[in-house]
Amino acid sequence: MVGSDLSGLAPSVLVRLGSLELVARTIVEGFLGGLHRSPFKGFSVEFSEYRRYLPGDDPARIDWKLAARSGRYYVKEFEEETNLECNLLLDISGSMGYGSQPVTKLQYGGFLAAALACLMHRQRDGVGLMLFDDRVIESVPVGSRSGHLQTLLSVLSKARIGGKSDVAKPLDEIATQLRRRGLVVLISDLLDDPGAVIRGLKHLRFRGSEVIVFHVLDPAELTFPFERAAQFEDMETGSQVIAVPSRVRQHYLKNSEEQQERYRRELRLANIDYHLVNTAQPFDDALMSYLSTRGRRA
Amino acid sequence: MPAFLFGCLAAGVPIVLHLFRRERFQRVRFSDVRFLLGAQAQQMRHLRLYELLLLALRVGAVLLLAFAFAHPFFDPDDQLDGPATVVLVDTSFSVSGPGQQDEVQALARAAVNAAPDGHLVGVVAFDDEARVVAGLTGSRSSALAAVDSLSARPRATRYSEGLTAASDLIGDRSGRLILVSDLQAAGWATGGGSVPPRVELELRPVRPPASNLAVVGLDIDSNSARVVLLQVGSVGPDTTVSLALDGAVVDTRSVTPVTGRSTVTFPVKFPASGVVMASVVDPSGYSVDDRRYRLLDQSQQATLLIVVGDVESSEAFYLQRALAPGSYTDPFAVSVVSASALGTDLDILEEVGAVVLLGTFGLNRRGQGLLASFVQNGGGLFVAAGPAFDGDLVQGFLSRGTELGFGMSQVHVNPVTLVVSESRHPIIRRLGGLTSKLSEARFTRTLTTDPGVGIVIARFSDQAPALVEYEVGEGRILFFASDLETKWNDWPRQRSFVPFLHEVLSYLSDHRVIQQEFVANNAPAGLPDAPGVFALVDGPGRVVVNVDSGESDPTPLSQDQFIASVGRLAQVGENEVEITAVEQEGQQQVWRYLLLLVAVFLTAEGWLGRLVA
Repeated sequence: MVGSDLSGLAPSVLVRLGSLELVARTIVEGFLGGLHRSPFKGFSVEFSEYRRYLPGDDPARIDWKLAARSGRYYVKEFEEETNLECNLLLDISGSMGYGSQPVTKLQYGGFLAAALACLMHRQRDGVGLMLFDDRVIESVPVGSRSGHLQTLLSVLSKARIGGKSDVAKPLDEIATQLRRRGLVVLISDLLDDPGAVIRGLKHLRFRGSEVIVFHVLDPAELTFPFERAAQFEDMETGSQVIAVPSRVRQHYLKNSEEQQERYRRELRLANIDYHLVNTAQPFDDALMSYLSTRGRRA
Repeated sequence: MPAFLFGCLAAGVPIVLHLFRRERFQRVRFSDVRFLLGAQAQQMRHLRLYELLLLALRVGAVLLLAFAFAHPFFDPDDQLDGPATVVLVDTSFSVSGPGQQDEVQALARAAVNAAPDGHLVGVVAFDDEARVVAGLTGSRSSALAAVDSLSARPRATRYSEGLTAASDLIGDRSGRLILVSDLQAAGWATGGGSVPPRVELELRPVRPPASNLAVVGLDIDSNSARVVLLQVGSVGPDTTVSLALDGAVVDTRSVTPVTGRSTVTFPVKFPASGVVMASVVDPSGYSVDDRRYRLLDQSQQATLLIVVGDVESSEAFYLQRALAPGSYTDPFAVSVVSASALGTDLDILEEVGAVVLLGTFGLNRRGQGLLASFVQNGGGLFVAAGPAFDGDLVQGFLSRGTELGFGMSQVHVNPVTLVVSESRHPIIRRLGGLTSKLSEARFTRTLTTDPGVGIVIARFSDQAPALVEYEVGEGRILFFASDLETKWNDWPRQRSFVPFLHEVLSYLSDHRVIQQEFVANNAPAGLPDAPGVFALVDGPGRVVVNVDSGESDPTPLSQDQFIASVGRLAQVGENEVEITAVEQEGQQQVWRYLLLLVAVFLTAEGWLGRLVA
């Protein structure tokens, strides 16, 4: 199997793989295999391997001692080594349980978090995890040792839908807990008070952390494709609304897009990366955004 | 009310479902409904409107379906519902005797006032025609006002007319029909009447006058005038019969009335023109039948020409006897000619009122052309089948523009009889009670006929056409599918034969003879409704109008006899109603439009339902 093919696997296919670790590795390997040249090799100080000198390589990287012994030119490869701390915040509130596709938002967010954790682990970055709804439900401290990834994936795989959403609260908690500047990745549908969410994220940014927000939405939330009149029941509050889709669709989409636009605009002003993620799409875009931010940080 | 209208109750089903089965929306769990809330109020208004529209469409579709089924049984004039009382008031001159009008008014008013609460009331007046003088209404006062406006007219009694009009007015309702009349037996002369099945017929008899003396006939020949008197009831004292010419008394006789008919002969010679009036003094009976008029200006005899194959044969024997003077009514002037001789005299049909074609042997082209031209120009032709009749020949020269379908003769081992199929035809109406006698004749041989566009007036009992009328140009042809002798039937020996022939030939002759003497009910429009002498501006000068002499006999039926007469016809009435309903719907085809509307409603319901359901 060619790695680049794996990166394009739809979430609906990945969900059938069962094991979260397998899903995460499939995503990451597929994604990395698809990159023509890794921009992240060569920046570390830890030796990795020798390889033949090729035209175009920096001559300064030639190991002259080895050349003297063997009469051939080799260049040294180094693996990056960093002490970046990354915290993954995954929203498990009731609304994340929605899914018009085979994959719910929570499943998608879990895959994304697992893939990011896997990728970070490879980069030797420290990874932590926090599951929350209106409070922190589960928390895994930042770590980078072998075995830490399994712990983290285990927690992710056991994640279940929680109650009402309150994104701002865990953001404040983690802002106060962070001892050093790091990277915070928020995976949520952001169905909360936008003002409070933005304030919380700014708080984190103020404390010096890089922040990436993955705004996970289902295709049905983006297009409201319903046709027949129905009694819509809120998955978090249980409140019910009878609606004729053809009559309310325009109103719904207008409000939804206004909220997305507000997040996009205000978070950009706060130097926070905002990415709208459709659960029907592969994970490439999300991973690439992480790597871009990681590159800036390094 | 048609039973199909109970289907309207099904319209309650969508209403009940609408009221009691509201939880019908699919439940959809969604991440967040906050974005829907703003538009909810507006869209809920639309939703309610949609639901009401859906309900209206469903109820409308059910109602339309019920009406589509019920419509053939609607009487278009049946606007009001509920039981009804119809008062049928006799206004013929047989209730114009001393004191009778007051009694009629009192009985009719009492009938209106006695109508049960909740009944609609209507008033129908009748003599030889019926008039609805007060349609069905809840107002007794308007019905009473209509009764007060009634008075007797110089017309004859025809119960069938009155009962038909009253039945039409009542329609399908239940109720009462109250007949205020003298129950005169002569009123049944032209046929029976019927009342609807759920209507109770009640009689309010008006007492006839103790006696009536009337002039019922005036025959004038070259040397005398014969005045025919009719005395009914108790015989009164001696009275006077007068004869006058143009208003001047010519002679007067004192006579002693005798019960029944009697003739007073005046030996008198009248001039070629003038109006003769015979009158009698009768203070105790009806006044309008105390005089009778006769116009001397022109002979009213209709000239008939009988065409036979051979004048020496007996082809026209019974026909000539039937038309002989004194046989039935005023005689025709009859002449007989052979078919071969018809073409030799081009003016032979000049003064002829009607032609009877019995034989075609020897009828040459000139004769054929004369007959065809005669009919085209308004003449009446009576064609009878028989051994000397060549159908193909007649069909050939008379069929220009009109299909006359004469076929083969058919022998009946079991003789067939005559049955009237067009009871409203003038010939049948004039025959009156004699219609029932037609069935006495036995026919062993008939000619098969395809009536085409013709009107079948009578059929044989095997449903084959017997008497068919065709309109050809301005004239008429009446074809009888058997002979007028005794070779194919025994009809000439039956009682109905002579009256039938007289009525047929009178009917055909009417189109050629300028009529100057009328019975009141047949008088031209514009003449006063009274007997007398009148001038016609656009007609043959002056005309005379006499009353129907049959009306002068007030002899009544008993109430039981009267009820029995109507009762026998009640079933016929039901059948007529059914046929009328079917015919009515057949003409209107309203159900097609109603069902089309149902389809439109259901399509709209389906479209709207997809949005809401």
